[in-house]
Amino acid sequence: MTVSRRELLRLTAGGSAIAALGQLGLSSALAADTSGYRAMVGIFLFGGNDAWNMVVPNDGRYAEYAKQRGSGIALAQSSLIPLTGTTFGLHGAMAPLKTAWEEGALSVVLNTGTLFAPLTKDLYTRRPDLRPLNLMSHEDQQNQWQGMRTRAVNNNGFMGRINDRAHAATLPPLISTAGSNLCLIGDRSSPLILPSSGALARNGYNATTTDPSVKARQTAFDVLADGSPYGAVTDLTGKGISSAYAQAAVANTAINSTSSVVDKYFVNPTTGAALNSEISRQLLRAARMIEARGTLGHAKQTFFVSQGGYDTHVSEQILQNTLYTDLATSLAGFYAAMKALGLQDNVTAFTMSDFGRVFKGNSNGGTDHAWGSNHLIIGGALASGKVHGRYPDIAFGGPEDSASDGRWIPSIATEEYVGAIAQWYGVSATDLPYVFPNWANWNGGGRGPVPLFG
Amino acid sequence: MRIQYFGSAAALSLATFLSASGNGGGENPTRAAAAPAEALAGVVGIALAPENTILPDEAARLAKQASFGPTPELINAIVAKKSAAAWIDEQLTLSSSTYADLAAKPVPGNYCAPLTGADLTKCTFGNFTAIPMQMRFYANAIGKEDQLRQRVAFALSQIVVASEVDVHQTAGLAAFNQILLSNAFGNYRDVLKAVTLNPYMGDYLDMVDSNKSQPNENYARELMQLFSLGTVLLNPDGTPQTDSSGATIPAYGNSDVKEVARALTGWTYARLNGAALTDNNNRDWSRPMVEYPARFDTTSKAFLGKTVGANATQQANVDAVVDALFNHPNIGPFVCKRLIQQLIVANPTPAYVERVAAVFADNGAGVRGDMKAVVRAIYLDSEARVVSQNPGKVKEPVLMLTALARAIGYKTDGYAFTTRDYGLGQAPFRAPSVFNFYPYQFPLPQGDGLVSPTSKLMDTSMAVARHNVVYNWTISGDGDRSEFQVQPLIPDSVGTTLDWTSWEANGADDDKTLDRINLVLMNGVMTSSQRKALLAAMTPIKIANNPALQARRRAQTALYIVASSPLFQVDR
Repeated sequence: MTVSRRELLRLTAGGSAIAALGQLGLSSALAADTSGYRAMVGIFLFGGNDAWNMVVPNDGRYAEYAKQRGSGIALAQSSLIPLTGTTFGLHGAMAPLKTAWEEGALSVVLNTGTLFAPLTKDLYTRRPDLRPLNLMSHEDQQNQWQGMRTRAVNNNGFMGRINDRAHAATLPPLISTAGSNLCLIGDRSSPLILPSSGALARNGYNATTTDPSVKARQTAFDVLADGSPYGAVTDLTGKGISSAYAQAAVANTAINSTSSVVDKYFVNPTTGAALNSEISRQLLRAARMIEARGTLGHAKQTFFVSQGGYDTHVSEQILQNTLYTDLATSLAGFYAAMKALGLQDNVTAFTMSDFGRVFKGNSNGGTDHAWGSNHLIIGGALASGKVHGRYPDIAFGGPEDSASDGRWIPSIATEEYVGAIAQWYGVSATDLPYVFPNWANWNGGGRGPVPLFG
Repeated sequence: MRIQYFGSAAALSLATFLSASGNGGGENPTRAAAAPAEALAGVVGIALAPENTILPDEAARLAKQASFGPTPELINAIVAKKSAAAWIDEQLTLSSSTYADLAAKPVPGNYCAPLTGADLTKCTFGNFTAIPMQMRFYANAIGKEDQLRQRVAFALSQIVVASEVDVHQTAGLAAFNQILLSNAFGNYRDVLKAVTLNPYMGDYLDMVDSNKSQPNENYARELMQLFSLGTVLLNPDGTPQTDSSGATIPAYGNSDVKEVARALTGWTYARLNGAALTDNNNRDWSRPMVEYPARFDTTSKAFLGKTVGANATQQANVDAVVDALFNHPNIGPFVCKRLIQQLIVANPTPAYVERVAAVFADNGAGVRGDMKAVVRAIYLDSEARVVSQNPGKVKEPVLMLTALARAIGYKTDGYAFTTRDYGLGQAPFRAPSVFNFYPYQFPLPQGDGLVSPTSKLMDTSMAVARHNVVYNWTISGDGDRSEFQVQPLIPDSVGTTLDWTSWEANGADDDKTLDRINLVLMNGVMTSSQRKALLAAMTPIKIANNPALQARRRAQTALYIVASSPLFQVDR
């Protein structure tokens, strides 16, 4: 159901409607040109994904993997899903992503993580001033991934900064189904936060009411919405609340549409039942907002979604089966939905996580916090069949181990990984250092964005 | 006479005046009967109350900080005590809330297995979910008088986090939270020690059954990072220390984590009914963990500049860990700043943090970690009592629900709140992770460096959700709502009753209704144009032949408008 301009203005009449329209990236020409459409979908895996079990060597190196990880953690080689044409396999529960791999729409980056500067083991040991601060702390590493500063305070994030710069040009809106996260906070702009399910309507509110008592109530509501005399916390909170109401009215048109084509792809591949996990609902909501991009006038869109539960200090094998089944089924559904919209080449989804985990298992069948990890990217624009980066030397205490039990020093920085996606998305060369404050450390001297897109 | 609340510039000059006059902390800020004119330049119309009186607006503001929400009765009680200090001191003696009865009933893991149908549901709810604890939490918050103890315990539970999201054991959850409630006015060392040996925390952060063969680092790390030191070395005022290049300095290293993990090996759950220490069906969640010597690492350990010798006892190892953290200079500023952010204001000045941290270090009688003294220091500081430099703390969802309910007048078994809280992002005892419901560094969006931890729960969808809960409990807030009824499947359910009669008693006197709302929800800041707009919203509501219902509907309308506004959603 497309919504006419008149209808949209009616729905948002009153209050900060104009601000809301700006928030959602609507320009005055609502029938926007969406031919250069791009979307990036960041999937944050909260807790620290042990992706050393997500991507596993499937050749002669498998034996050392198994020996080093130990029997409580290592996967059986026969359980792996081969990434054909490479020497690697995926965790068995990721079978739903086989199609994407075969169609050239799945890539892997190896041993990626937070870095302040390129590091060798020698440099890591001798130069603490070159390390990211507070490695292996969930909150700090999540902030460093999202804020892209590893030795300074992060009070905004890369998606928010993309949004800051884009307002002056093509107005890409920024949408989260994972609540408010640092990644989304810009210096000047705020994201649209949607619940993962359910509508976003204010009870009892009717913008076009003629009932005098409801009208008077709504007027009083606006009078008391002003917090400006009481300091920044009250003032900015009041402004945020008002703009939230206006945004919600507009977002509801996309959420409540009854003629969506994307829903049917988010189903269990065996039973056909609708998926209902949190990550599946978030990706479905993102797919709906992508579907509605023309109506909303979005030339580009940025999404932040999340899946939790990755802090596998105990019972990792059982937990990973569930987590990866959920993630892969949801991602496969999302990819299929993008194909149905004809947008598989315009949309790129990518994982992020606090850190990887210790290669050697602990005594509870789990793993503790580490550093470098592997990540997945999904989208038709990717160069086919690629595993980027270098699998580390997995000797404990060896040349790539920051410790003595397998906490690998990353060989790819988060900026080189996410920066490649931001470039494809259309962030200009002049804006890249604003979006990635440490960009200068990752260009030249043999470093640069991962060639994800060929 | 009233104290006006100003915009930040005027407030800053007032605060500067007070601290310049040496009134920056400790007991009642000294009330000057007449303030020097030049010091108060730019601050117009202020007149401070006479000594030994606390005005209703000030009492309401204290009640916002020190209770689960002002009520007319509570405000009167504070005014009757004549000072904030006297009321605080009375609160420090109270202890009416408890979880001890819930903690006294640990059951085996298969306790409910023989049951079916409704019996099974009730048994599961009562023994393996957070629901009985959440109901008790809300019932106490709404109805029990030891409000300050409960607020401090709630704050502690958001620093020392153990979440039911991962551990489903009602008695265990109760025993854990009883530690925080009992020790809210005790000593912080006792909190650290009891929490370290508590089985619910042991399960949550994997210290239980940690084995010397490969010690589990989870509890060791979070104990240091979240419950005591934080990640970086701090100055006494809570600001981070920096090295010559301007970078922060880690408070502990990875080897400290590993060594502490070794020191904390060898503990397991106590067992019920004499069951073996390997019987995982019969864990006793009500008693501290017990030793399992075969799993304990007896070699020496070195952490944070301290050593524990080989063959020291397990208890000695635990004490050494707790002492190393408790005596570390970081713990006062780290814990006190978080307590201030939980109780008073999101952006305390470093000077405020320093004053309180100094009391943590020494309560004046040579005792470290005295929570009574710390709580007094927090609440009686001028930055809490008068006005802050950067005022404002966004109400977290739990406090919004309780404040609204107490303002209206509820009697409750707590169940109704459990139907609303998770939709707002905060269900008590069920934080999404050990990092609580929100990070302490969460930035105030577009706030130029200010933080606002609870703003993490005030995003687009949460703002709408809050609005809808406020609407449902005001405009639609009659006693026949389904969540207020007795729930047949919930153990000990008696429902919630709402007292609209005291509002109805105002009759057609809308100003009286607004006076009550102004005092109880807004601590007196309602402007004349706000009052005018509220009256304009109330007067069109006319219900012929039922003046009580008309008064109720008018009150509900005014409550709706005020409670959903930033003036109620943010405490100042």
